[in-house]
Amino acid sequence: MSEKALQVLLVEDNAGDVRLLREMFSKERADSFELTHCLRMGEAERHLAKGGVDIVLLDMGLPDGHGLDTVRRAHAAAPGVPMIVLTGLDDEALAAEAMKEGAQDYLIKGQIENRALPRALRHAIERHRMQAETDLIRVQQIQLKDEFLSHVSHELRSPLSAIRQFVTILLDGLAGELQPEQQEYMGIVLRNVKQLQSMISDLLEVTRVQAGKLMIEPQCISIADAIAYAVDTLHGAASAKGITLSSEIASRLPSVCADPMRMRQILIILVDNAIKFTPANGTVKVRARASDEDPSLVVLEVSDSGCGISPDMTERIFERLFQTSDPSLEGRKGLGLGLYICKDLVTRQGGQIWAKSVLEQGSVFSVTLPIFSLPNLMAMAFRKEVRADRPVTLVVAELGSQSGWLSNDVRAEQSHGVREVLQRCLHSHLDILLPKMGVSDAAELFFIVAITDSIGGEAIKKRIQEQLQEHVGRAGLTLSTSYRSVPHTKRDSNESTEEYLEHVAAGIQELIKVEISSRMVVNA
Amino acid sequence: MPNKKILIVDDDPDVLQGMHVRLKANQYDICLAVDTFSGVAEARRSAPDLILLDLGLPAGGGFLVMERLKMIPSLAIIPVIVVSARDGLGNQKRAFDAGAKAFLQKPVDDNQLLAVIRQALGEPATAKKPTLHDQGAV
Repeated sequence: MSEKALQVLLVEDNAGDVRLLREMFSKERADSFELTHCLRMGEAERHLAKGGVDIVLLDMGLPDGHGLDTVRRAHAAAPGVPMIVLTGLDDEALAAEAMKEGAQDYLIKGQIENRALPRALRHAIERHRMQAETDLIRVQQIQLKDEFLSHVSHELRSPLSAIRQFVTILLDGLAGELQPEQQEYMGIVLRNVKQLQSMISDLLEVTRVQAGKLMIEPQCISIADAIAYAVDTLHGAASAKGITLSSEIASRLPSVCADPMRMRQILIILVDNAIKFTPANGTVKVRARASDEDPSLVVLEVSDSGCGISPDMTERIFERLFQTSDPSLEGRKGLGLGLYICKDLVTRQGGQIWAKSVLEQGSVFSVTLPIFSLPNLMAMAFRKEVRADRPVTLVVAELGSQSGWLSNDVRAEQSHGVREVLQRCLHSHLDILLPKMGVSDAAELFFIVAITDSIGGEAIKKRIQEQLQEHVGRAGLTLSTSYRSVPHTKRDSNESTEEYLEHVAAGIQELIKVEISSRMVVNA
Repeated sequence: MPNKKILIVDDDPDVLQGMHVRLKANQYDICLAVDTFSGVAEARRSAPDLILLDLGLPAGGGFLVMERLKMIPSLAIIPVIVVSARDGLGNQKRAFDAGAKAFLQKPVDDNQLLAVIRQALGEPATAKKPTLHDQGAV
């Protein structure tokens, strides 16, 4: 049986060690190993990128790389290639760390017995192959399970749909008046149908989380709206249990950059959980304030006077399908997916979520979200340009329809694509495409802040028209583009950069407000 | 003013009956169809003001119904609302691309359904007969 020679890449800068290892290889059958040698990490990376290497023998102290960093770099250059690290006698702890970073094995220099080297190499390759196989099977299993979940949820929805339809028909008296007792029982059926429906939605949402298909569209919003919505929605559920549900929003709370629908979803999950775990006559409170530690964050807190979570569980509750084993909490209903979904939604909006709790006294769930600050955004995007006293222009792209009205569905459907095209029309270091700044009835507005004068504004307008017209026309929508100079961009000699940016940002925000309100349909 | 006429195309007889009861109670005239072919035929025969269309239909499916309607000028202008149990992801975009006015996910909240219908028909936003027990989608 003839096998292809194993391609071994030796990365080692010590000439003595190289000679020793070469000697060991020379004792093997000539066609069993083929050795390539690199002195430096950079050279090794280039070689690995070319492919064809079966295994790497890596020294962890190189002229251009040291310790675990070498392991990570080698792994990054060729993730699928197994690796054995070479260490000195005093470095065994480091070698063990290297194995956590993905190395298959380690050999201690000066202690490698003759026949041990080829055995270690073959063993590492085999182990790596088995590992890869296991990983692949696991990925396939998750995929299969997600497809299954998605299919099952869909199939469950149809009969549930019919149940809900007829229960509401009966409750609304469309098939004759109901006796009070019948009315009550039908109400119980409807409540449980809704429960089932939300579990099915959770299942589908989780399969989306897993597949990375969850859509998030950050906008400049006030978090107070989402809080009011959640408190409103769950007010009935709270009072049915005799729980006081209230909210407290700090005055002058800055706007955040977040998806409004997702914020509602997050708050509903957290408040709903709090109500579930709080006994009768308890309290649930939603608070929002600017973070004390980091002024660029807003903190949302949902606190309850419920049963609490034991300290070792405060992290595990965010795991997928986590279920409490505490028998006293058996009244709890759900699949244990809510907090998992929450965490994904918060993280993907640039925030963090955590829980603090005292058993029998209650829990506090905290969420941080990045605030929306136009001056900060401008400071980051414009960097050096901001020092110069240059004109600033606000470009407005307006997406509308012939009928003069845009449904939310069409907005959601189109806006992602439009943003992508707009981004292509801009210079990344001179223009900023702002997140959605507000809703107007008649149109979807996109705002671009550009460091340029009216000639530059005209150029951007033309680019947008050219690039976007076809895209928008295909969807049966209309596009119009305009620009305005931002007033008062002249910098006072005694103004700091921060003050100057605040100043310009205020001018921009004023213009945006006018643009949005001019497109509102006035209600009688 | 005569009642507006709505065509419901769905292969699930329970859904058809349920929607029929609900919409009739809101003073709409109803006609029904259970598959792709009869959906187009019924639209041609009864010239409805609006079509509620399921996607998973025998003999072609909802997208084919929309395609066929587009080929007949008098039917191409009828607003279509897609009501489907299918995942909104992807299907929603496809439905809009095919010309649907809205995409509703089953199980549909009655108030939402009625609001979307009124909007598509250009009717005032207040319900003729408000539903009492289905407020607040879960």
